[in-house]
Amino acid sequence: MIQLQQITKKFGTFEAVQNVTLTIENGEIHGLIGASGAGKSTLLRLMNLLEVPDFGAVIINGQQLTELNSAQLREARKSIGMIFQHFHLVANKTVFANVEIALSLANYPKQLRQARVLECLKFVGLEQFAQQYPAQLSGGQKQRVAIARALANEPAVLLCDEPTSALDTNTSAEILRVLQKVNETLGVTIVLVSHELEVVKSICHRATVLDAGQIYETVDLVPTGIKETDHHPQSFVNQLVKGGDGHA
Amino acid sequence: MPNVLIQYEAEIWRAVSETFFMVGVSIIAAVLIGLPIGTYLFLCGKGKLLENRIVYNILNLAVNTIRSFPFLLLVVFLIPFTRLIVGTAIGTVAATIPLSIIAIAHYARLVEQSLLDVPKGVIEAAVSMGASVKRIIFSFLYVEARSGLVLGLTTSIVSFISYSTIMGVVGGGGIGDFAIRYGYQQFKTDLMLYMILIMIILVQLIQLLGTTVARWLDKR
Repeated sequence: MIQLQQITKKFGTFEAVQNVTLTIENGEIHGLIGASGAGKSTLLRLMNLLEVPDFGAVIINGQQLTELNSAQLREARKSIGMIFQHFHLVANKTVFANVEIALSLANYPKQLRQARVLECLKFVGLEQFAQQYPAQLSGGQKQRVAIARALANEPAVLLCDEPTSALDTNTSAEILRVLQKVNETLGVTIVLVSHELEVVKSICHRATVLDAGQIYETVDLVPTGIKETDHHPQSFVNQLVKGGDGHA
Repeated sequence: MPNVLIQYEAEIWRAVSETFFMVGVSIIAAVLIGLPIGTYLFLCGKGKLLENRIVYNILNLAVNTIRSFPFLLLVVFLIPFTRLIVGTAIGTVAATIPLSIIAIAHYARLVEQSLLDVPKGVIEAAVSMGASVKRIIFSFLYVEARSGLVLGLTTSIVSFISYSTIMGVVGGGGIGDFAIRYGYQQFKTDLMLYMILIMIILVQLIQLLGTTVARWLDKR
């Protein structure tokens, strides 16, 4: 369970997050949505203390992160996965090494690392790309590597900062399917920041709408499901010319 | 081989070995001391992991001051310090001290600049994974900046070779000193030209090696 209690974060005189109290239940996919500058990414980054709140408490699975010293916080972060809009993979490491680094940071036994890395890559469908470098992958594949890296240490929580914003519609759908699979098969609690309403509606169980750094409303959702995507060029023609739904 | 080279072969080899010694020591100093200083400069910068304005300003001022010295004056200025460290201010070993000082400052700045090219997001991802500063440096920063670090070192080595040519003023010897003493002062222009040719070939080889290694390391 993620609990934010009266969180406030200022950048200079600008109050990016104001007195936010929010509880996200275990096993939930929770969307954070709002206009640009609403404070959704800042709120997400406050959950693993990439941004330190000026006031308030962050509690994840009973552990109050805001009370930990830096060594304890590093330990706590190893069980909180995070993925980013621009993937942030290490370009000079192979796909395999990018995932392995998460295990290495958590002192995962060396003899078990290879199997674990391949298991994570298989989960995201990239085991055959283990020896490639990020520059050789598409945007969607890079994001899947980032997800594999985030899952390596079996986190209880996965924080997703605009994970589909840099991707086209079809690739976004692929990533959302992977995130849904992470939630359903591994039971990982997911917090998903997006400015795209469709993304949040498709997989989130609940969503919090932010406005000017404050919670406007939290709503229960019935996920509408991820739209089937069609890679046929005719589908693009349909969308462009006829305004169709993309199905040829 | 031209007669003049055969005639001075032993002296030329000695001059080459002196240059290699002086430049070799300065490379070691640059890597062992310049690399950590450059890394610390980066880490103490504004908005960075170990942001510390006082430490940054002190290091920044020191690096800039050393780099702004005309090298000949730095050599003279450092004579008391050189004497303190190696017991003499004259000779090839003594010449390595000012050369190492400039090498450290020169490479530290290039290291800082290479690290500034590492995408901020990569460091952020490392922090989010619970990496310590030490792990961020060795597993993320140096890995991501490695081709820049190699190119920076290559540029530095070429500069060290250039700086080493004036170490004759403190009896440091080397190719440059040989070219001045035998080529210029004894009017053996052909010998001086051959020395210049050796320097050009040396620099070309180092640059070729550095560029090749950097390209091989760069997977971005």
